[in-house]
Amino acid sequence: MEFGLMQLWEGGWVGAILRGACVTVAVGVASMIFGLIIGTICGLIKWRGIVGLSQLVDFYTSVVRGVPELLIIYLLFFGSIEFVKSVATAFGFGDLADAGYPFLITVVAISAISGAYSTEVVRGALAAIPKGHIEAAMALGLPSRRIFARIIAPQMLRIAFPGINNVWQTTIKDTALVSVVGLQELMRTASIGAGSTRNPLIFYAIAALVYLMITLVSQIGFNRVASLITPAKRS
Amino acid sequence: MKLKALALVAALAGFATTAQAEGQLKIGTEGAYPPWSMADANGTVTGFDADVGALLCAKLDMECVFVVQAFDGLIPALQAKQFDIIISGMSITADRKKEINFSIGYAELANKVVVAKSSDLAKITDIPALLTALGGHSVGVQAGTTHAHFMEKLAPTATLKSYGTLDEMQIDLATGRVDAGFADASALQNFLDKPEGADFQFVDLNITSSYDPTLGEGIGVGIRQDDTALKAKIDTALCELIADGSIKASSEKWFKMDISRPCQ
Amino acid sequence: MELIQLAVPVLIQGLWMTLTLTVLSVAVGFNLGLGLALMRGSGNALISGFARYYSFAFRGTPLLVQLFLIYYGLGQIKLVHDIAPLWWVISEGSRCAVLALALNTAAYTSEILRGGLNAVPIGLVEAAKACGMSRVMRFRRIEFPLAIRQALPAYGNELVLMVKGTSLASTITVLEITGYAKRLMSQTFAIFEVFAIAGMLYLVLNLALIGAIRMVERRLMRHTRPAV
Repeated sequence: MEFGLMQLWEGGWVGAILRGACVTVAVGVASMIFGLIIGTICGLIKWRGIVGLSQLVDFYTSVVRGVPELLIIYLLFFGSIEFVKSVATAFGFGDLADAGYPFLITVVAISAISGAYSTEVVRGALAAIPKGHIEAAMALGLPSRRIFARIIAPQMLRIAFPGINNVWQTTIKDTALVSVVGLQELMRTASIGAGSTRNPLIFYAIAALVYLMITLVSQIGFNRVASLITPAKRS
Repeated sequence: MKLKALALVAALAGFATTAQAEGQLKIGTEGAYPPWSMADANGTVTGFDADVGALLCAKLDMECVFVVQAFDGLIPALQAKQFDIIISGMSITADRKKEINFSIGYAELANKVVVAKSSDLAKITDIPALLTALGGHSVGVQAGTTHAHFMEKLAPTATLKSYGTLDEMQIDLATGRVDAGFADASALQNFLDKPEGADFQFVDLNITSSYDPTLGEGIGVGIRQDDTALKAKIDTALCELIADGSIKASSEKWFKMDISRPCQ
Repeated sequence: MELIQLAVPVLIQGLWMTLTLTVLSVAVGFNLGLGLALMRGSGNALISGFARYYSFAFRGTPLLVQLFLIYYGLGQIKLVHDIAPLWWVISEGSRCAVLALALNTAAYTSEILRGGLNAVPIGLVEAAKACGMSRVMRFRRIEFPLAIRQALPAYGNELVLMVKGTSLASTITVLEITGYAKRLMSQTFAIFEVFAIAGMLYLVLNLALIGAIRMVERRLMRHTRPAV
């Protein structure tokens, strides 16, 4: 291979790859946060069984879980441009919409996908909370808001934690798909480098390694937090 | 939590933003189509498209800002006001005109087929024969381009392989996964000049837009349909640039030949 | 609408490719995954270590990266060109996609099967040992069927993910549903309509798949249902 690691450094590709990795993590984190917000709201709706909204949530999760992420991304990117802009403006991101469009559309797409999976995790966690706890709290006359804040939410977070970890791993890997619409994240940077230097092996191998590092570091992080919030099993 | 999320996204979106300033012309380009449009690791765009853009900006007295975007996403992104114009070797076609407007054509594409020197297609001397001979072979094109549409329409018996970028198509051509590649001659010449293109050659036939309308009516600057004032300004500027030979000079610099079109 | 008349036959063509890719990669991937799951349970540190790192590598990187690495990356290596069977696989996008999808699903399948195998009640295994069953027979008659039954819901999920994964093959020139959808979109600019039809095709496919899995589940669990 005439193309060595030295040329990699000189071509400025190392910096580009690191920048790409930062964008990847940024998209992942932003999407995860929005996805969790969506997931919590939708999970609660399904758990409470609110008529009408519950069916809507079902439709949403079925579509996202049944349709390939690539198709959803293409659809959002090439299609409903005005729709996304009006959503963004509604949330106060109007100016951002004009400026950082690829980033915005990416976050919207990945959040929608992440949110559907988070919904299932939240719903499962809520269902796993022992009914007795909630009934006892109600018997004690605690107001619903306090029941939610003191009994439901903490337990839900703890039970959902491993599931949330899985959703994160999936989310960060899904960010690679947005390379097809041109966002300069890690995968696209690797593609550009591979194309312009005609050396796909090095670039995609490095991209794979960087993704591996991201997943490894976040796995270690999650394990740490998990050991903190999971109480020691009573013997 | 939502406030923090807002701040986080705002800060992070700074990665991909440039504030819209007065007198700024944002130009969308592919950045992966040498020698028309190349972006290096830092995102600086060079090539024929970059030169035409710079010439236009100088004439219009505005600051040029290039936004790199995947080719088949250029038109939707223009419609979404991601940038003001498209300069990316984009041909003027009837289908595209339904979506966006174009300036006058300022350059002409010469489209050629590239094959291995040892290929049985290399010696063919007329276009209809070539199109028939392509049946049973695989042809690589870039997705969403006039070349893709041309092959879909006129060589339906050939196995068509669409790639996201020309680079990917050329990689597959070099490794032997496709028997032929079809794109414009200037971009393919770039491939033939590289070491991996040593065993390849053009089929000596120039397929111009006069052969079939799918190939479009020349290269133009893409403009939104409601931006009529901008179109008028750009048309005037382009005519001046063609008349004083700057486009011709730039074309000879990048393509070693003059591909400029006379102003109409 | 004339668009639907144009789009549907084209997308149905893609459906065949999608199905072919799915069936082939699941067939290969399941067996690979089973092998890996068994390797994990092995006492030999090298063997179980290999299975563990394989799983880690393929589950920790995006499928798209694996696909590109195999298609473009391996295609670059001269040795691959020289070995005829290897080149046969790597030279064509659809065969490459099957390889990448199979390797990917093998990693996830091995985790699912490992969970299933671990969940087999140890009492049953000991009873089989007491009966004098050989290792192979024990696996074939007791552990494997019980593991499959346990793992079926999770594996059903993985199958749906496989179907969705085939859409990535469109990025390496393969013409399955998504590939045809992209081509149609660039011809007609009817973006929303084309992708909506394609999306519906996938939805129907996945719903049918989940329905089939549920039927198999019910059949395997029929001994737990109350007697009629």
